[in-house]
This record gives sequence, C-alpha cells and structure tokens, in this order.
Amino acid sequence: MASTIKRDSIENGSQRRSPRQNFETWSWLFMRVSGIVLFFLALVHFFIMHIMHDVTTTTVAFVAARWSNPLWRVFDWLLLALGLLHGTNGLRYIMDDYVRSPVRRMIVKASVYGVSGVLFFIGTLTIVTFK
Amino acid sequence: MSPSSTMYKGKTGQWAFVLHRVTGFLVFMFILLHIVDVSTLNSPHIYNSIHRLYGNVFLRLFEVGLLFALLYHALNGLRVVMIDFFPKAIKNEKGVFLFMLSLAVIMTLVGAVFILKPFVTGKV
Repeated sequence: MASTIKRDSIENGSQRRSPRQNFETWSWLFMRVSGIVLFFLALVHFFIMHIMHDVTTTTVAFVAARWSNPLWRVFDWLLLALGLLHGTNGLRYIMDDYVRSPVRRMIVKASVYGVSGVLFFIGTLTIVTFK
Repeated sequence: MSPSSTMYKGKTGQWAFVLHRVTGFLVFMFILLHIVDVSTLNSPHIYNSIHRLYGNVFLRLFEVGLLFALLYHALNGLRVVMIDFFPKAIKNEKGVFLFMLSLAVIMTLVGAVFILKPFVTGKV
C-alpha cells in the first residue's frame, strides 16, 4: 500500500493520491469488511454449536429444529459464502507467497479454486434442500 | 505480488503475522471438512454417527485447537483492521497483540472446560 501512495504522489506532484483502484485494493478491503462480519458470524456459530450445546447433541433432529427458522439458514449460508471467499482469498495470498513456479502456481490455484467452488455448491445445496 | 507487500517488519508484528496465517489456514481446512460432514444431513444415519465420532476425546481436543485458532484469527484480525482503518488509535501495537493473544488463550481455556466437560464427567 505504502509504495502505491508514494508512486502516485510522485506522478501527481503534490496532488491527492489517485482514486484509481485495482483488484488488490478491493481484495484488501473485502478481507477487512468480510473479516468484521465473520468475527460475529463465526464466533456466534461456535458459541451456540460447541459451547451452549455439546457436539454429540447437535444431531439431524437438532439441525431440523434449528433450520425450521429460515433466518438460521440465511445465517449459515452467509457464514458458508463469506467463510469460503475469505478463506480462498487468504489461500491465494499464501499461494502467491510460496508457490514460485508460474506453472505450478497455476495448477495449485486452479485446484484450490475448483475445490472451493465445488464445496460452495455442496454447502448451498445442503442448506437449500434439507427438509 | 512483491515480497515487500506481505512482509511485516518488527519482531512481534512478524509473529502476529505468522500465527495469523497459520491459524487462518487451519480454520479454512476445517471449514472444508465441515462442509463435507454437514452435507451428509440428508443421510441421517451417517450424519449422526459422524457427530458421535466428534464426541471422541481426541476430536474434542481438536475442537479446542480449532477454538484457539478461530479466536486468535478473529481477535488479531480486529487488531489488523484497527491498524489499517484507524492508524492513530493504536499507539502500542505490541501491547495490543499481547492483549489479543492473552484474550484468545483465556477464552480458549474457558471454552475447553465446556468442550471437555462431558468427557471428564464420564458422559461420553
């Protein structure tokens, strides 16, 4: 970020920094905003499902009772969607840092995006079709 | 991405970053597993037997580990957001890191009591 500001201030002299935003700027903002939302979604989910209730009592009947309220389905779907997006984007940073060979990086990225996409589909299907 | 954009300078900041990355990776791996186990909901026998398996003491310890990873990642994430959005609000980054880390450890220990209690009382 700092280098962008520096470069822009050199190009524009003493003018304000350019408002042009690229993909990485939006990625940076998305991680912060989704992170704040996930802070509440993930911790509330963990508290209800692992602290208030024991893991062995969260059976199919338990989920059926919980999901009879569509708001919990929305809650869980948001957690699924934001969690996967935030996590996949985080993994993208990790892959950019550690997988140096361009060919290998492309293969690893394609696999990770593929797995995330398939799991997003499976998760959404579970939340929508469960009766 | 240039190396300088992902490299923190300073000792505690670097540890905070490493721990943030490792815990984020672990939580994400668990989410992948969790989506698969929940997808068995339409086969109640499989779902219920998986959840009985989660009651095993080793998987309960794994659950405690997940709680710590989640808490640290969430709390340190708040610290990162504060530094990025309100750079003047934090004067002592190291102190805030140690506070968040301690909070994560304490909350994990409290949560561990609830998670491990059924095992200790012999209900599992």
